Amino acid sequence: MYNFKSGIAQIDQVTGGFEQGTNFLVLAPPMSLAEELAYSLTKPLPGEYAIVLSTNDRAAEVIDAFKVMDVDKRYVGTIDAITKSSTPGIADTTRLMFVASPTDLTGIGIKFSKMVELIFDGDFSDGESGLFPPPVRFCINSVSTLLMYRKLEVLYQFLHVLTSKVKKIDGIGFYLLNNESFDEKTISLVKQLMTGVIEVKIEQNTHYLCIMGIKGVSSEWQKFSVQKGQVVIGP
Amino acid sequence: MAKIFSPERTGGDRAMISTGINGIDDMLGGGIPKGSRVMYSMEPGVDGQLFMISTLFAALSKGLSCLVVLPHTTFDIFKHDAATKRGCTMEIFNKKVVFIDAIDRERIEKSSRTRKDVLKAWETKVKKLSKENAVEIAFIYVDLLYNDLGLEGTISIAEAAKTSGKTTVILEHLNLEGRSLIDRFIEKYSYDLIIAISSAFRSPPHFNYFTLMHTSWSNVPRRSVPFIVTEGRVVPYIPKIVVTGPSQAGKSTFVSNASDLGFSVDRQGSSGDPTTVAMDFGWLHWKDFEITVYGTPGQQRFDSVVPMLLSHAMGVVLLIDATKPSALERARHHVQLIREKRLPMVIAANKSDLPGTMSDSEIRKGLDLQKDVPLFFISATRKGDVRLVLESLVDYITQYTN
Repeated sequence: MYNFKSGIAQIDQVTGGFEQGTNFLVLAPPMSLAEELAYSLTKPLPGEYAIVLSTNDRAAEVIDAFKVMDVDKRYVGTIDAITKSSTPGIADTTRLMFVASPTDLTGIGIKFSKMVELIFDGDFSDGESGLFPPPVRFCINSVSTLLMYRKLEVLYQFLHVLTSKVKKIDGIGFYLLNNESFDEKTISLVKQLMTGVIEVKIEQNTHYLCIMGIKGVSSEWQKFSVQKGQVVIGP
Repeated sequence: MAKIFSPERTGGDRAMISTGINGIDDMLGGGIPKGSRVMYSMEPGVDGQLFMISTLFAALSKGLSCLVVLPHTTFDIFKHDAATKRGCTMEIFNKKVVFIDAIDRERIEKSSRTRKDVLKAWETKVKKLSKENAVEIAFIYVDLLYNDLGLEGTISIAEAAKTSGKTTVILEHLNLEGRSLIDRFIEKYSYDLIIAISSAFRSPPHFNYFTLMHTSWSNVPRRSVPFIVTEGRVVPYIPKIVVTGPSQAGKSTFVSNASDLGFSVDRQGSSGDPTTVAMDFGWLHWKDFEITVYGTPGQQRFDSVVPMLLSHAMGVVLLIDATKPSALERARHHVQLIREKRLPMVIAANKSDLPGTMSDSEIRKGLDLQKDVPLFFISATRKGDVRLVLESLVDYITQYTN
């Protein structure tokens, strides 16, 4: 059984990290370090791989964000749902794939499967290889954007498929959702697909997170910050 | 809802539209009858977009007038992506084709106040373009229409494209609902052809396949066939055909003559003839199918290997020596193995060009075969005979219902 280290001592010391085949909702208001937190949890450790579906930032920005965290870019793939609308002729590469828009769930599903296939076939990292079977971290930044374009029922079904695929490949998934823009029904429906929730809040300019759904890990609110891609808990 | 026309039932190639995938055209009896309603139903994540694109390219290259409805993207992006997928230039789109794309969708939404208005605007636009351009085939990407207007609305827009009974409508849909949605298309909306495109998503190998779920104009049984995408084409792929049977029946000769490329692992037998000790292996590209052929050893001492070689096979050729009644008992053992695995099987009675060949009824009785199991009298030394057997087996595999 492979455990994905979280970089958060409270999790890694108690459970050894996130269990393989699990999915976590990162529930956060805007401008709350949620993206930094999600990318930090998605950051591949040596031997691992990461796939980011970006509906907000261009692929180049995603790569930059991972560069800041000292990540070897050969182990990070990006599915970019932004760039193609302005650059129709842009071509896919092994680690950068483009879909027409965040509405294109067909394209998103295909590109995700393709990247996973390339990782499993050992064709992803310019001849370099990580662990086998490959531990894959997956992140959607963000589910909020997908919800703006798609009906909740449709997106629920689509996320159901994606989270199942993450389970099947023994990966781990992080799904960012803005909890201020959607009603309780929407949030609770998305939660049903998840193994756990990492919720973020800001009070008096201080960021707090609470982790729910991991046995043995406290679900108390804790102060946190993200420094160079590392989550730091505490003052 | 718009008036519903029926597809042309005249038969013959002139009334048929190619899917752009030869293997599927063959399975369908030549293609899709003009005027049909077709749906490519895609499971999420499966790389099946080339099915509809292949049909579109086939129609354009035949000079048919096409309408493409793409609410999820712009025609610029679509043209680029489609040409890239096919591995060709965008010149094909200089032919008779008109588009309704994401920009039109935005305009329709901005200018309509209610959902009813949106639907009406879509119907009007589709009908107008279809009529003005004498559209023969409408290709509609359903996903967002379904999201915006529901299934009834989507069907209604598709029907608006059918300005005559000869207009064919082809939908591509990301099917998040599974079988129940397909059943509605068959039972409620009387779609003529439904091809489901799926994947066995798991740790390697990943595996894609299509299933002919329903055809209204022929009795093609439901059958799943794996496919690969290579050089911009969908290629139906038969991953494993096994050739088995008693020793000295001619299996190695059969595999060798079946294959474009192959090898045999054999040793000198006690009779002085070579005998297979592990397996024969061959690969061929034929009638748009990629086929891999495995030959089993025939000697009894290798019997433990045969069930393993039959694992994951899609079909079996049982090869017997037509001049050797004494070998039938041994062949019955192979028939039993094949039946246990419920595999499609054809019988090839080899050496039938030699004197003393058994009759059809003698062989069927000796092997306890039903009449519907195909039996061919061949000489494995003749490539034509060997290909005939494979042709029959591929047909049998793609139509097998057990």
